[in-house]
Amino acid sequence: MFKLNFKIILRSIWKNKVSSIINVVGLAIGLAACLMLLIYISYEWNFDKQSKDSANVHVVMTNVLDDKGKIFLTFNGSTTAFAPLIKQEIPEVKYISRMDYGNTGLIANGINGFKRKSKFAEPDILKMYDYHFIHGDPKTALKDPRSVILTESTAKTLFGSTDVLNKTVKYQEKENLNVTGVIKDLPENSSNRFDYLMPWSLYEILDEGAKDLNWNNFSFVTLVTLRPDANLDLVNRKVDEAIRRSNREVSQPNFLFPLSKMHLYGKFEGGKSTGGDIEQIWLFTALAIGILLIACINFMNMATAKSEKRAKEVGIKKTIGANRRSLIMQFLAESMVLTLISVIIAIVLIESFMPIFNNLLNIKMSIPYLNSYIWVGLLSIILITGLIAGSYPAFYLSSFNPTQSLKRNVEGRGFFSLSLRKVLVIGQFCFTIILIISTLVIYKQIQFIKNKPVGFDVNALVEMPQDGQLKEKFDLLKTRLLKSGAVTSMYQSSVNLSHHGSNFTGIEWPGMPQPENTVMFNRVGTTYNYISTNGIKLISGRDFNERYASDSSAVLLSASAVKVMGLKKPVGEVVKMFESNFTVVGVFDDYVWDSPYQSNNPMVVFFNKRGTGTITMRLNEGNNLQQNIETITNITKEINPAYPVDIKFMNSIYADKLSKEKTLGTLSNLFGGLAVFISCLGLFGLLSYSAEQRTKEFGIRKVLGASVASLMQLLSLSFVKMILVATVLAAPIAYYIMIKWLDNFEYHTTISWWVFALAAIGTLTISLLTVSYKAYRTAKSNPINALKYE
Amino acid sequence: MIELKNIEKYYANKGVKSYILRHVTTSIKQGEFVSIMGPSGAGKSTLLNILGMLEEPTYGQYEFMGEDVVSLNERKRIELYRNHIGFVFQAYHLIDEMTVAENIEAPLLYKKVPGSERKSRVADILDRFNMVAKSDLFPNQLSGGQQQLVGIARALVAQPSIILADEPTGNLQSAQALQIMDLFKKLNEEEGITIVQVTHSEVNAAYGSRILHLLDGVIKEDVTVQQTV
Repeated sequence: MFKLNFKIILRSIWKNKVSSIINVVGLAIGLAACLMLLIYISYEWNFDKQSKDSANVHVVMTNVLDDKGKIFLTFNGSTTAFAPLIKQEIPEVKYISRMDYGNTGLIANGINGFKRKSKFAEPDILKMYDYHFIHGDPKTALKDPRSVILTESTAKTLFGSTDVLNKTVKYQEKENLNVTGVIKDLPENSSNRFDYLMPWSLYEILDEGAKDLNWNNFSFVTLVTLRPDANLDLVNRKVDEAIRRSNREVSQPNFLFPLSKMHLYGKFEGGKSTGGDIEQIWLFTALAIGILLIACINFMNMATAKSEKRAKEVGIKKTIGANRRSLIMQFLAESMVLTLISVIIAIVLIESFMPIFNNLLNIKMSIPYLNSYIWVGLLSIILITGLIAGSYPAFYLSSFNPTQSLKRNVEGRGFFSLSLRKVLVIGQFCFTIILIISTLVIYKQIQFIKNKPVGFDVNALVEMPQDGQLKEKFDLLKTRLLKSGAVTSMYQSSVNLSHHGSNFTGIEWPGMPQPENTVMFNRVGTTYNYISTNGIKLISGRDFNERYASDSSAVLLSASAVKVMGLKKPVGEVVKMFESNFTVVGVFDDYVWDSPYQSNNPMVVFFNKRGTGTITMRLNEGNNLQQNIETITNITKEINPAYPVDIKFMNSIYADKLSKEKTLGTLSNLFGGLAVFISCLGLFGLLSYSAEQRTKEFGIRKVLGASVASLMQLLSLSFVKMILVATVLAAPIAYYIMIKWLDNFEYHTTISWWVFALAAIGTLTISLLTVSYKAYRTAKSNPINALKYE
Repeated sequence: MIELKNIEKYYANKGVKSYILRHVTTSIKQGEFVSIMGPSGAGKSTLLNILGMLEEPTYGQYEFMGEDVVSLNERKRIELYRNHIGFVFQAYHLIDEMTVAENIEAPLLYKKVPGSERKSRVADILDRFNMVAKSDLFPNQLSGGQQQLVGIARALVAQPSIILADEPTGNLQSAQALQIMDLFKKLNEEEGITIVQVTHSEVNAAYGSRILHLLDGVIKEDVTVQQTV
């Protein structure tokens, strides 16, 4: 029976090619989109969950309190003194490892140096993460301070092979390190990625801050693996007590937070996790289900539209003894087979579009064929989709009365079926139009932020890291570059022009209302030409200048800093930071350095010779751009030969700030486009059937003298009406969603009426184009063909 | 076998009843070959549909093999279809996606006849109807007469006690029609299968043993055919 049914299903799919193609193509695209999103969701969901013991790994968090004792910031930094204390005091701690945040450092085999992601950590990290050692022994790999573990690809870049145990590499031009291990590359979705791992003991040698056991430098990360039976709340209480017992001065309470949750629930308010990227995951899940659903709706609509054809079959089968159950099974099996075909096509689609998708989201994903879950997932998607898509036709068609269906009384246009089909089409287009409106609003917001002035001249501005020799020989570099004519002005600074963090509160100014400042200030340490190179607007005073020797203790304030301080005549006032006095020599207008979506906090730019890290240059626009870059590269390479020259353009750095929203825009554009396509495919299918059903009516009308235009109108009008209804329904929903989204940004655009108009007109035009072809062909056909049919 | 008492069928439209059948009372015995005749709109097909339980009478009593079937539930009705009733239609109503053999096999599948028996019964009937060579063809590859033969084979394969045929030869040329009627007669006489057919043709009616003349929903005449052998 099953075999026969299967054969018949394949035959009937073959026979109804148009509807089968519409079904399969629509469903395949829907499924591909849905699966792609699901793979992305699982990628995000499995962040930091790869190692066997990942559920027990925790990261140490720090709450920052304001002067009233309220938590105003929670971050994942901790101090060097934390780990030794906790390891001793709390029995639930199984492994503990201090790490740095990770950096980009030069690693070289002889003269072949590459900048790669580095990390320092204690040996326990090898027990927390079950890194796959290709060569070397995890027990001893991080024992010696002068040792290093390379990832497979780093080893291959440096040596061309992975069999490199006991070879020597040079770190940052200084330290000769012995390769003690080569491990498989780390998964992309891990927060602690590195290209080479060095022992914490080396870090203590290289960095005094790491060696010094203290409670006030929060520049480190501590990972803790708890015993599986440990109670996190209890452990956190013990952590509190232990710190309090050992050290009274610590004001920042620490607590442990599961590492596997950091990525998705990393937003903290008042010391409690309040979500984070998980919201995006829900959004994508909704999108995935929505796309799949509109493909399923096509399926249902096509099946019910076909009902007139199928009704005869149902009638016959009933009179030869088929019961309803066997008919339902047959229809469900039919939709399962179609779904199966669609899934196969969908997998092919995913395989071919995965690189593009990866590129778009800037991640690396692939279909995890070896994962048994994916197969279970696929199977359940086939079953569920087949069930959803096939259920309505199955139950609807099987309920036909045999005589009526045999007498061809069932037109498939009964009140019920028609209105339900209408509802489904309206739902489909509603979803589509919401996506279109969202896309438009997202792009409008991006455009709005793009057009908002950043407060400096972003063009012809480039920056490069101040590595190695460039720190000591900055003046030489400056002289040579200026002389070469490639650069008109340049400066060095402690942070990039566009930076995140570097906030502090330890500043005092004349006439402070409270003895201690609580407002977060941003700071930049630099020397000369900061204002002039960037083209930031100076409101009063002047930039730092070589002619004034006193400028070695001078500071520039941003307009908002002046406002916060309440200084009437800021220039000449003295502020105190890091135990020294700085004289205000100028006030500059606020500019955008961190998030372009909100007003940034007050900023101080202070004179500091040791404020090195980044070199920013304004290119000479009189020269060819390529030539400028070449000149800079050559001169820099000459002065600092060990490091590759890495020049970045400021406008691309600032454009990258919008990348998250751009990704969202691209995604909603992409899936909106797919939704339009699938919906129109369904519309086309429905119209074809409606045209087929009404062939006779059209023949008669034509014989009676109806024009082609009036017949086309007759066919298309009902569809146009449905799309209008969908627009009316979609507009307020989309408005509500987008208002909520825009609320996330301090600076945001408004939702104009033309967004809705454009979405409506666009959808209407596309769907009219879809239906008009078929409508035209039907209306043009010779009436005799239609009439002699009966 | 069939007892009809006072069967009425009407459609009420805006308070006006339009009658299809009125006061139809008759009985059909096992082994009869009944032809229902009458002009268009007389209610012939409706009567046959009621006999086949495809339609319910508005009023009246209908006993099929001693069982009241007027408001039989779907499950029981399908049981009757599987075991006792075979339908033959004017438009053949074969399933287009199935081959000849599969079409004939279908009722047995629903009846849950075991595979080996199914095969032998289908082979048997194909043999009897001289259609072995055509068993793998699809309906649209056959002529009308051949299609109707398949339709009858399909009705017969489940070994019904009654065949209900709605103008079985209506779409056929006369030579093919005669062949079908001969077959009916043979089935009726040799296997004792009760046959009820709706027909326009006097010639076809003459093959049967009894004719019910219907006019405007009323049985005008009930005549026994004098067999002219």
